[in-house]
Amino acid sequence: MAVLKINTTDKHIINLANIVDGPRTILYKKADLLAYDCDGFTIHKHLPKAVVFPKSTEEVSKLVKYCSDNGLPFLARGAGTGLSGGAIPINGEVIISMVRMKKLISIDLANRRAVVEPGFVNLKLTNSISDKGYYYAPDPSSQYCCTIGGNVAENAGGAHCLKYGVTTNHILGLEVVLPNGEIVEIGRNGVLDEPGYDLLGLITGSEGTLGIVTKITVRILKNPEGKQTVLAYFDKVEDGSQAVSDIISAGIVPAALEMMDKIAIEAVEAAAFPVGHPKDIEAVLLIEVDGIAAGIEEQVNQILEVCRKRNVREVRAAKDEAERERWWANRKTGFGAMGAISPDYLVQDGVIPRSKLPEVLSKISQISKVSGLRIANIFHAGDGNLHPLVLFDARKPGEIDKALEAGSACLKACADVGGTITGEHGVGIEKREEMRFVFKDEEIRAQTNIREVFNPNNLLNAGKLFPTPGRCVEIKKELKSLS
Amino acid sequence: MIIDGSLSDLKAVFKGIKLIEEDPHHPLGNSGRVTILPKTEQEISSILEYANTHKHTVIIAGGGTKRGFGGLLEIADIQLSLAQYTGIVEHDPGDMTLTIKSGTPFQVIQNHLAPYNQKIPLDPFFPEAATIGGIISANDSGPKRLGYGAARDNVIGLRMVYPDGSLIRSGGKVVKNVAGYDMNKLFIGAMGTLGVISEVTLKLRPIAKYESILLISFPNSSLEVISASAVKVLDSLVEPISLEIITPALAGKLTNTNQYTLLISFEDVKSSVHYQEDVIRHMMPEKTTIKSLSEHEANSFWNTFYHHQPHVYTNVSATEAVLKIGVINLDVIKLLQEAELIGDSCHVSIEAHGGLGTGICQMAIKGASADVLSAIRLVRETAVQLGGYAIIKHLPFSLRKEANVWGNKTASQFLFEGIKQKIDQNGILNPNRFVGGI
Repeated sequence: MAVLKINTTDKHIINLANIVDGPRTILYKKADLLAYDCDGFTIHKHLPKAVVFPKSTEEVSKLVKYCSDNGLPFLARGAGTGLSGGAIPINGEVIISMVRMKKLISIDLANRRAVVEPGFVNLKLTNSISDKGYYYAPDPSSQYCCTIGGNVAENAGGAHCLKYGVTTNHILGLEVVLPNGEIVEIGRNGVLDEPGYDLLGLITGSEGTLGIVTKITVRILKNPEGKQTVLAYFDKVEDGSQAVSDIISAGIVPAALEMMDKIAIEAVEAAAFPVGHPKDIEAVLLIEVDGIAAGIEEQVNQILEVCRKRNVREVRAAKDEAERERWWANRKTGFGAMGAISPDYLVQDGVIPRSKLPEVLSKISQISKVSGLRIANIFHAGDGNLHPLVLFDARKPGEIDKALEAGSACLKACADVGGTITGEHGVGIEKREEMRFVFKDEEIRAQTNIREVFNPNNLLNAGKLFPTPGRCVEIKKELKSLS
Repeated sequence: MIIDGSLSDLKAVFKGIKLIEEDPHHPLGNSGRVTILPKTEQEISSILEYANTHKHTVIIAGGGTKRGFGGLLEIADIQLSLAQYTGIVEHDPGDMTLTIKSGTPFQVIQNHLAPYNQKIPLDPFFPEAATIGGIISANDSGPKRLGYGAARDNVIGLRMVYPDGSLIRSGGKVVKNVAGYDMNKLFIGAMGTLGVISEVTLKLRPIAKYESILLISFPNSSLEVISASAVKVLDSLVEPISLEIITPALAGKLTNTNQYTLLISFEDVKSSVHYQEDVIRHMMPEKTTIKSLSEHEANSFWNTFYHHQPHVYTNVSATEAVLKIGVINLDVIKLLQEAELIGDSCHVSIEAHGGLGTGICQMAIKGASADVLSAIRLVRETAVQLGGYAIIKHLPFSLRKEANVWGNKTASQFLFEGIKQKIDQNGILNPNRFVGGI
């Protein structure tokens, strides 16, 4: 095998390579960097200065210290599945990739916790403990490839967070490299309520702007004894929304309560996992209850009854595990399925109070009419988290702009009814300006003040999460120039 | 500091706001030369703005149940009491969310929600007196935390009045929200050192259709037997809402049986609760006695439970301490066993319970002052050796100066100080009430 050599005179590249394991563990040539110019948000692209692959906390700390001392912007990246552009190197950052730090360090079933490195893939954790009857609850749709470090940065959710909570509810401890290279341990030994301000809660969901997480202690849960999934077809979307509210009001806490509208159904049925949903219905609900088997039948019967009262066309429980899994595969691949009916799509992530569902859906349908673009809707309906999917064709001049505008208008509609602009995808660069829909200037300043405590020179993942004062107009122009 | 005579200035400034002057000396400290009782957010804001401009120190009070929790300042310039800042701002039963003013007593809120079959899924001590703002500021939690989580898991939005009087909202009214930093987390458990909580928005849970408590007494059993039983419960299919071990002294008080007792509670539909009770019955070793309390009896047990700690706001003369201790879940058993020995060697009475699925213990210590202090020190050493911590939730003011309420500083202290400095530059809010002198 030929010995790799660093072929550049850039002293920073040489020095960074020396911190990690040499040329094998750094990328710096343009051709190699292209794969890192964006994440799951593909509308905005920028090349990094380099991508380095540390294998330990100490290496991360040294890399961070080097960048910090030399004024080089830097950011951390996991699997790159983020949907809001949080890992896009808009300032030509040095990307610190966490993918080599992918060990499962320890499992302690009796105390219901596991310790992982940040590059460890979400689903692998559940797979490592499922034979013992345990699982890790947060289940973003990308869980087969996204990393737990990335989940911490974004405070990732998933279909089953209605009952069990999002990532922040499952993080017990973090080892963090601060932007000056210092290593701190928060939530030592995974013990709850460590004295002091709740830095665990603050750092989780901070989108990689306060520090780089290098070790994570997570809570693991015992598998429920039983689970059952119910499928319900509605001719009217209002009836489906009302059924959602009725189920929750009946005192049932479903593990998941998902909804897809007509266009979404068209897409999932045209994609890889069709299950035969009728094409002429306006809404399909997928309702899962879990827990003690003895109590499940009662809940399922109640759900069936609620749906019937709301003029359901057809409602039934999955007849076996295979059918349940088919229904979920169909739903979980919903975003990607848009590819079957549209060349491009933009996914949004608003949240609304559940009771406003019919109102916001009708608003979104108006937005669709005005923009001339089709909008499919996939929701975590139980917690009011909407994913409007704006379908467009980037080859047609002006369509990217129109899609961005329509997406933003959907978020405005959510904010206007007392909701928010992101439930699980994060702000990133995508929704920076939309932060103004929900926060006043001084509230945004209150947050950037906290950032300054951790990240005073703003070299770590700068330009993310917050709108730049007075830059509103410029950013719109910037986005326009991209098309 | 307010100099004598400037009180009339204050009265002039806060025309129309209730102001009380009384003997500020109190065995638990945390008093003010003057107590101000605002009724609106605007009044809270103007009081803080005034205090900040004049660099007056402010101690925040609610129902007074946590007056002995931290604080090395006996008398601040102003005690800001939220006792008259009460009421429900918005309850949306369909969305299962609730917004309330911070001075509202917890039980008042639960009573309002009960007809809707809803509740705040927190179980604090002294629910009739503790205010929602105080519970959240002190991050108080009870045994049901295992099933429902703590304040950090249930608060979805806060309106904070910052020390300069500005109003900062965090979170919102929806149950899932990642817009910006999760600032709620910063204010929960901050002991009022970063701002005054004005309004709290919480997500609600349905009241379970049925509930029961199993009290399992272990006569003369070694703790290994109890530990093995607890591990079996944790590894089984049951989904307890609480799983606590109670020391013999506390069990005697609560159940008249002076033995180590496991408290396992269930909330679900009736069939499921009964099924789980049966599973537990078959799992427990011989010679244990199992008592089952359901519905009304369970409620009445919990009511006693939430009042077993020293009635700090009615009887402040005794030398009593309450500790909150966090360790790795199953180490609770080792900690409580050690505490029994410490109680004997220090000649103090110790009543304690700890969550085997959470690692959070609460311990009431009673005795002569010097003995109580020695016991606190030894319990803390044990907790730290087990990789955890011990903080003092309640202690008379005179002893707080000698005992270190929050334990030793950690490596994160500089971050805590940085945060405090950014928000409360003049250090007016609850000075010296939190970790490391914040």
